[in-house]
Amino acid sequence: MKTLESRPSSESPSEPRHVVRGHDPRRRGLGAWAFLLNRITGLGLVVYLYVHLAVLSLLARGPESWDSFIDIVRSPFFLALDVVVIAGWLIHALNGIRITLANFAFGARVQKAMFAVAMVIAGATLLVLSVLLFEGS
Amino acid sequence: MNVEVPLSIQRQKGGGSPRRDLFRVSIAESASVLDAIEAAWAQHDSSIQFRHACHHASCGSCAVRVNGVEKLPCVTSIAEVWDGAGEIVVEPLRNFPVIADLVVDVRGLFDRIEASEMRPIRAVEHAPPVDVGEVPRTNGQSTVVPEGIERFMRFESCIECGICISACPTAGLDDKFFGPAGLAALHRARQESVDPEAAEALLDLADGEHGAWRCHSAWACTERCPQGIDAAGAVMALRRELMTRRLRRLFRR
Amino acid sequence: MIETTQRTTAHSWTWFVQAITGIALVILLSLHMIAQHFIVEGGLREYADIVAYLRNPVILVLESLFLITVTVHALLGVRAVAFDFGLTEKSERVVSRILAWVGVATLGYGAWIIWLVAG
Repeated sequence: MKTLESRPSSESPSEPRHVVRGHDPRRRGLGAWAFLLNRITGLGLVVYLYVHLAVLSLLARGPESWDSFIDIVRSPFFLALDVVVIAGWLIHALNGIRITLANFAFGARVQKAMFAVAMVIAGATLLVLSVLLFEGS
Repeated sequence: MNVEVPLSIQRQKGGGSPRRDLFRVSIAESASVLDAIEAAWAQHDSSIQFRHACHHASCGSCAVRVNGVEKLPCVTSIAEVWDGAGEIVVEPLRNFPVIADLVVDVRGLFDRIEASEMRPIRAVEHAPPVDVGEVPRTNGQSTVVPEGIERFMRFESCIECGICISACPTAGLDDKFFGPAGLAALHRARQESVDPEAAEALLDLADGEHGAWRCHSAWACTERCPQGIDAAGAVMALRRELMTRRLRRLFRR
Repeated sequence: MIETTQRTTAHSWTWFVQAITGIALVILLSLHMIAQHFIVEGGLREYADIVAYLRNPVILVLESLFLITVTVHALLGVRAVAFDFGLTEKSERVVSRILAWVGVATLGYGAWIIWLVAG
């Protein structure tokens, strides 16, 4: 029996690589956007985690080093960066809760609704926290 | 009443770069997208390669992407996808190697579904009438319809079209992913397995790094399935069963 | 692109741990945020504040728990991203091992910082 000759489309120079193609949420539905968002925020938060841990090494240099660092990050610019991090966390956490619920209980019918609700809660919480953050500084 | 429809079909032969060919086809207003593709083949370019058989959403052969969305073109009307002005773009399914034009290599899909040995027709439906001294052949399956099987009968509607795999973002990244079609078939097959060891073996297939655990809950499979099958729900159910089994084994020791 | 299947070893726990640590982090991270930003004068702790804070045994336990949970969740997440690209079984083991060691190093570093500050 003659086997069909087939070439993977990724071999064509004009086809996007696996990486881009798999993550492309266009025309796949809301859940694919949720997946992409969760991945971006997750990786972003991992980067933030290690930057944060590295910064903590200043504590090893004593009070003067740490306190002068704190003065720098009190600026509005760094507070704005904090807001970005918080946004990332809220999106990731609430989407993660949706995924966990979907695993254990709720099914297809409520998926999109859950994602929408999760993002609304994220947005509202972000607004409140940002106000508190800037007010407190 | 005929209309002239601009159809842009992805072409690719023998490993060359894909390109799009535009055809203006004259078809009936009530025609399907598959009718339009056939018209392009008949009226303009007989080298267009595409799969089709039943023309009524039973065989799953014709699945393609229309304007970027996975569909069965045989039951998709031109009116559904055409605004009267722009081109209708027809491309092959994602996440399968392209053989030529709209034809993709679906062996991976069939391998996975066959691995589950899901039979859409139960042996009991083929059992010959019982006569004295005659034993009905069962092919190893039960002749008794399992209780509660109605809940799972939707999975039997799978026409193996591959749309779920095309829609799945994970299938686009991971070649080894068992995929929504395969996992849904496993879930269905497990409901009817008489032999507990066979049921366990099916669950084993869903286990592993590229089984049910690789799913990222995008739910695109369920959303695009032309038969209304909740494949993602099946994946979640398999995960619950896998976790229960693990916990049980842990506490049995 | 979908290819013919291969059997790989079973790993039922990682997803479960990911879900559990995720839920735990919703609580632990919220507590951490409140303690670090919302109950402190000025919104950020200076050196003396941090020392006083970590000397509280409840806080010490919570922050340590937080560090362990976030490290596990973060590295399991990175592992999930890596595994999405269909690695060979050998590569999967290598990646898992590397990330495990990164985790150990992270926790060791964290423990060192806490010890340094809290004395």
